[in-house]
Amino acid sequence: MDQQEATKRFYDLIWPHRSVVLRIAQMMTRRLHEAEDLAQDTLMKAFKAIEQFDPQSDAKKWLLSILRNARIDRIRASASSAGNVSLDQLPMEIEDSQETSHSGGDENWNDPRRMLEQFSDRDMIAALQDLSEEIRWTLLLVDVEGLDHHEAAAILNVPVGTIKSRAHRGRAMVRQSLLAVSRR
Amino acid sequence: MTTNQEHDDFEESALDKATSRRLSKLRTVPVDTSHLDRLIRTQIPRAEQSPMRIWIRPLRALAASVAIVALIGALLLSWSAGPVMASAVQMAQVHKDLIAGRLPVEKVDSIEQANQSLAAQWPDSPQLSGVSGNQQPPAAHVMACCMKSVKNKKMACVLLQSNNLPVTVTMANSSDVKLPSAPVIVRDGFSYRVETVGKLNMVMTERNDRWICLIAELPSDQLVNLAKSLQF
Repeated sequence: MDQQEATKRFYDLIWPHRSVVLRIAQMMTRRLHEAEDLAQDTLMKAFKAIEQFDPQSDAKKWLLSILRNARIDRIRASASSAGNVSLDQLPMEIEDSQETSHSGGDENWNDPRRMLEQFSDRDMIAALQDLSEEIRWTLLLVDVEGLDHHEAAAILNVPVGTIKSRAHRGRAMVRQSLLAVSRR
Repeated sequence: MTTNQEHDDFEESALDKATSRRLSKLRTVPVDTSHLDRLIRTQIPRAEQSPMRIWIRPLRALAASVAIVALIGALLLSWSAGPVMASAVQMAQVHKDLIAGRLPVEKVDSIEQANQSLAAQWPDSPQLSGVSGNQQPPAAHVMACCMKSVKNKKMACVLLQSNNLPVTVTMANSSDVKLPSAPVIVRDGFSYRVETVGKLNMVMTERNDRWICLIAELPSDQLVNLAKSLQF
């Protein structure tokens, strides 16, 4: 594939999904310039690998896989520069016992839909950003982007059961975080 | 515990479903890609055809191209001469594309900003305003706007958020787009055509030579109330 064809394929198939990449990057990082760097890195990697992309497959899922790997690379690089910490040692996911011993103050959620509508998008994003990396990824893929459990499992390279478990725990943690906001 | 039993433990409760539904609305949060666009375009310039290749083409090919362009032009002219019918399915697709970020939009915070942005792209763009001089319709937050062409007719699209749900307001000239033959609701002397595509409801009406369509996962009555609160 020559450069001209690669460029055309990139702008035809990948470019329309750049806002999804940037939105997820913004929710994964806390600073705009970090999010833009991550999104740029992702799109450039997609361009370099465009020959491997099957035009019949889902470009959004392909991009989200690249975004996920780009994010891991950045965490590794950052940890490495901070003192050669391996990815396994990073606080990517907190154990159940540490994470939440309850279901997000569920007794306060008699009318969950009404209660949740009281919170702004900013509150919801802040609650997501308080989550551990892996649980945040799960909720972003499953709930925010609407991927099914199997698709999210393929992107995050974990079993489907893990996705279900993380989604359940993550939602409880989001509610817990929102409850704290409402009590302020 | 078996794997199936583990999975049963994570069956979605009403709380989970409500949380998931609220999180899904973050998909409609507009993002400003303008800076990212500049960064990427600098590194991956769009391919442009060399002018030399155009000039050295044989005359016969040039003549054939002119004939094809003329034919397409004639077809477009005959096609765009009168008002077209924007189908409910097409309008639902516009709404879905808008909230999924598949249309290039400009992020705005008020109707005034939306009007300015639309007018910059289309000088005769239909303008939208709130009630009684307010710049914001009640119970609605303005998020983004864009221009869209449906059946070769220009439409101005404004994305609002009402009751935490995205609402697309589309406007066009009545001379360009006509109302469908659909069930009619009459409110305060104005008639609204109501259509449904899947979970999406849409109400269409005409005001001051403008064709207006509101689309959302909201009951038709609420869409009519929202349309009543807007001035066109």
